[in-house]
Amino acid sequence: MDSLLAAVIIGVSLGGQYALLALGFTLIFGILGVVNFAHGGLYVLGGYVAQAAVSKLAIPYPVAVLAAALATGAVGYAFERFVLERRIDDHLATLMLTLGLYLMLSTGILVTFGAESVQFAFPVTGAIRGNGYYIPLENLIVLATCLLAIGAVYLLLFRTDFGRASRALADHRAVATAQGMRPHQLFPLAFALASGLAGLTGALVTPILSLAPHVGDPVLATSFLVVILGGLGSIGGATVAAFLVGLIEAFSGVYLGGSKGALALFIIVLVMLVVRPSGLLGRETRGA
Amino acid sequence: MLKVDNLHVRYGGIGALRDVSLNVAVGETVLLIGANGAGKSSLINAIIGLVPTSGGTIRFNERELVPISCAERARSGIGYSPEGRCVFPSMSVTDNVLCGAFGRGRKRQLQALDWLKSIFPLLADRAGQPAGQLSGGEQQIVALARAMCSLPTLLLLDEPFLGLAPIWISRISNAIRELQRRGTTILMTEQMARPALKLANRGYIMRSGEIRRAGTAVEIRDLALAEEYL
Repeated sequence: MDSLLAAVIIGVSLGGQYALLALGFTLIFGILGVVNFAHGGLYVLGGYVAQAAVSKLAIPYPVAVLAAALATGAVGYAFERFVLERRIDDHLATLMLTLGLYLMLSTGILVTFGAESVQFAFPVTGAIRGNGYYIPLENLIVLATCLLAIGAVYLLLFRTDFGRASRALADHRAVATAQGMRPHQLFPLAFALASGLAGLTGALVTPILSLAPHVGDPVLATSFLVVILGGLGSIGGATVAAFLVGLIEAFSGVYLGGSKGALALFIIVLVMLVVRPSGLLGRETRGA
Repeated sequence: MLKVDNLHVRYGGIGALRDVSLNVAVGETVLLIGANGAGKSSLINAIIGLVPTSGGTIRFNERELVPISCAERARSGIGYSPEGRCVFPSMSVTDNVLCGAFGRGRKRQLQALDWLKSIFPLLADRAGQPAGQLSGGEQQIVALARAMCSLPTLLLLDEPFLGLAPIWISRISNAIRELQRRGTTILMTEQMARPALKLANRGYIMRSGEIRRAGTAVEIRDLALAEEYL
């Protein structure tokens, strides 16, 4: 019973982090049609910005997290506006450009901060203990922040003109433009939002896990996995898949052990894709 | 209101429109008829700015449209309902309609939505349903309402009857009549000339990217009959 509860708590906590990451990734794919190889790099950048803000500028951690989200958002905005936008309809070029951004970010971080992991501790320690359960406070705080951020993203996407326009551009760019939407203004904002989410996750999660220049690689792989499982471009699908992946990872980790757990996750995802190739919430639409 | 002069559109080396000129006056409904590939949709797309022109002018309310972007043309008061409807399939019916009034302010959007619901009860009945799950006729209503949500002064309808059953053609015709009663100026294309001509004041017959004939709806009907368009 104890291990079951532990697996659920770990799974939901992981799911929240994955959801935040995957939302950004799927937003960029869904709206711009771009597979963003720099997503893991922006996650790492967020971690380093928060770490530098806390350790070098003595800024309180919550403000540092916000600064990390804003800084990565600004990088994303500038990259889309001045680089990606020029080649937005050339899929190969966008792949190369986002890969280039990732290499620039990771090399820049390597040169600036070194190859070793840096010290970055979560400011809150302790745990809630009870009969048969143990919940680290840091996990709870990260989960709560992730859920708040996910809620805010949903409100933005489903209750505002910006969100409606972003989804319309994702569905049919030419027709959306003919309704008065301006892609060259909305695309950089969407990229900034997605980059900010990656940076926010990095700032929240790296103090719990670790912070080193290479930690973005598995993040990119997980984002891919979640987004494909949820249904490419599906915002709801990515959220559901993120929690599913988090729970599968936690349960298989607890009951099967590290490497077997990872293997189990990939097998389950593979089977899901064979049974339902469009992903969990892939689009089903009707013609005339 | 709309004046097109000597318009040329080329796709690669192929001329899609050649020396096309037409005009639409305030309150009129003007119909473009012609076979597949005649250039009807190219003309509509050139007016809204979805395809670039290679010569000629398009003036809307005395403003030259050619140099300005597609989004700016829409914001200048042109509503557009594309061929094949092209609703945003993953979005709800309400969100689809509100997209037509993007950036116009929440209050104006909701007022327009209420007005459109009074004309098209389907918008209220299916408000939360993803538009991609509607039938073709229902999607056409959504596309019409989306084009009307910004309260445009000129409405471009590209083949509104395409692929629809007779019952839906009748319903869409009634919806267009309602818009006409409210003073909306309409430029529409249609291969199904017979029901469309009942709605039009004037018309043009297009063939191979050129306008071949122009006249009143009655004249166009007679010409179209002679040229086997009907």
